[in-house]
Amino acid sequence: MSKTPGTGKDGAGAKGMLRLAALLDGLNRHIGRSVAYLALAMVLAQFLVVVMRYAFGVGSIQLQEAIIYMHAALFLLLAGYTLGEGGHVRVDVFHERLGARMRNWVEIGGALVFLLPLCVYVVWSSMPYVLQSWAILETSREELGLPAVFLLKTLIPAFAVLLALQGISHLLRIFFAEESGGAQAAEEEGL
Amino acid sequence: MSQESLALLMFAATCGALLLGYPVAFTLAGSALLFASFGWMVGVFDPTFLLAFPQRIFGVMTNEVLIAVPMFVFMGCMLERARVAEELLHAAERLFGGLRGGLGVSVSVVGALLAASTGIVGATVVTMGLLSLPTMLKRGYAPSLATGSICAAGTLGQIIPPSIVLILLGDVISNAYQKAQLDQGVFSPKVVSVGDLFAGALLPGLLLVGMYVLYQLVYGWARPQDSPALSREERESHPEPLWEHMGRALLPPLLLIVAVLGSVLAGVATPTESASAGAFGAILLAGRRIPAARRACTIAAVALLPLFILATGFDMRIAREEIPTGDWIAILCALALCAPICWGAGVGLWHLQRASILPAVCRSAGKITSMVFIILVGASMFSLVFRGFGGDDMIHAFLAALPGGVVGGLILVMAVMFVLGFFLDFIEITFVVVPLVAPVFLAMGVDPVWLGVMMAINLQTSFLTPPFGFALFYLRGVAPESVSTMEIYRGVIPFVALQLLALLLLALFPQMAIWLPDVIFG
Repeated sequence: MSKTPGTGKDGAGAKGMLRLAALLDGLNRHIGRSVAYLALAMVLAQFLVVVMRYAFGVGSIQLQEAIIYMHAALFLLLAGYTLGEGGHVRVDVFHERLGARMRNWVEIGGALVFLLPLCVYVVWSSMPYVLQSWAILETSREELGLPAVFLLKTLIPAFAVLLALQGISHLLRIFFAEESGGAQAAEEEGL
Repeated sequence: MSQESLALLMFAATCGALLLGYPVAFTLAGSALLFASFGWMVGVFDPTFLLAFPQRIFGVMTNEVLIAVPMFVFMGCMLERARVAEELLHAAERLFGGLRGGLGVSVSVVGALLAASTGIVGATVVTMGLLSLPTMLKRGYAPSLATGSICAAGTLGQIIPPSIVLILLGDVISNAYQKAQLDQGVFSPKVVSVGDLFAGALLPGLLLVGMYVLYQLVYGWARPQDSPALSREERESHPEPLWEHMGRALLPPLLLIVAVLGSVLAGVATPTESASAGAFGAILLAGRRIPAARRACTIAAVALLPLFILATGFDMRIAREEIPTGDWIAILCALALCAPICWGAGVGLWHLQRASILPAVCRSAGKITSMVFIILVGASMFSLVFRGFGGDDMIHAFLAALPGGVVGGLILVMAVMFVLGFFLDFIEITFVVVPLVAPVFLAMGVDPVWLGVMMAINLQTSFLTPPFGFALFYLRGVAPESVSTMEIYRGVIPFVALQLLALLLLALFPQMAIWLPDVIFG
């Protein structure tokens, strides 16, 4: 992650690309760290629901739905951040034994063949679904629910975009750190 | 190319791709997408299948059962910070240390207690590996016995409720159960809930704990040199009297267990509701670890008790037309109690935030939640495409045609899940394999709770089995260099045998899983 930018003849270009990667990382990190507090907010809201319901016999559909919204936002908006932090589970039986160069190839191949096409597909296929919801400003099916289902559905393309940006940042780091960091990679491989 | 061969090829290719080590969620979804486009090009895949994908994601987002998962994860991360495990281990070592094999017994018992208060495997193995393993080795325990008992005790979190595995399995199995009944033309289908699965897993889980303890006592009796007792001086070196120490260490987790598990098993609360109460309790426990917030958090915790008593003793519904005076007084008292609870929790959270504990807990809970649910999203893409290729029907036909009927099919599926468990996390197996096979068995009349508990024990066992069991990796990560990997492998084998024995017992006596949910939920 902290590889130094290239100093060769494309030094400036590589430097720019790495700066872009840092920018994308920073975006996901900021979003991830702020949105993570929804985990706490969910717990407190749900506990409030419990106390209100079991002690005072009152319920709030809006609060219940707010918890669903928070839950959805938590796992969707954190997907990119989690990728950046290496938090998405991998099958590491063989991965551990691959050299650094081979692991880079897995990252490149995975991002180009699996991750980015998936993100493109999610954005493409969810657009009509989300736009339709926006067109009627879709509200909850419950009469007293939250009137913001269109926002909830918007989380789907937002998830794919944030994830794709993190994937691109990853690729940039591999490509442009390779040139200058080749020695470092070889060194890691030798371990 | 036929549909069926593409379905098989997709399954095989995805398994192969997973082994390369790219994150599972994206490998599952990405390779499914790739095969779908190929199938579409050669004209054997109907792309309208895939158009349902955004709705599938929306279904995952609004699944109310699964909201219990982030709450339990939050609770687990917070309890780790509250250092409940440390306290429990120290107290249990004093209590059981005098027995041969006593340190191992205390690991099993603490593992069970931790499993009953939350359900995250990795954390328990790592904590006990860091705390108990050095003690056990220093006291002359055989490294294989010490590491085996820690790994086994750590995986109890998967089977003893509340556990994340049981929540995910419960959701998948209840959907499969509905589907199986609808296919048979039952239009008012019976339901099975996560609560049923919790109740069903309780006795088999306790059976496992009993078997672990018994094994270690017998081992200690037969080979005292491998698991010696602590000397009297060692046990009495602690300044506090034993009962006081026990009370201080046991009370908080016991209260949490009673509150969380008790309310689910009593059928009073949903797992999500209980999880939020547990997480709230964990916040107060962690807050008490910070001197400045200790008093406030204690007061809040103490105030919860009379609130609970008032809620059970009086009718405090405030939305009624007429409220008798007695109930009014109770309502006012209850509202007054809410003040110290809010204040205490607020002070606790403020100090947890300042100590950088709260951000760390939220981040790790958020990352784990995202990891779990994005796999669910990826797996639902995979199953959409697999279904589009007719893979579902193929598996139904295959399992139905197996010699040996239900039993033969079950043995095969259990074996496949066991092997998959070496490579894949329980989450992927639950989301990919279980939805394919469970409806077939349920349609054949297999009890859903029993099936779920069998699968949970099976997955737990494969977590423990060398060379790829996840628990072994977690422990290897924290065990000292002097303990060889072979010793860890050798140590868990007896425990794997105990697991298989328990699985066999459960297969022969399904009542162990079915009886309790029947009694509780009718």
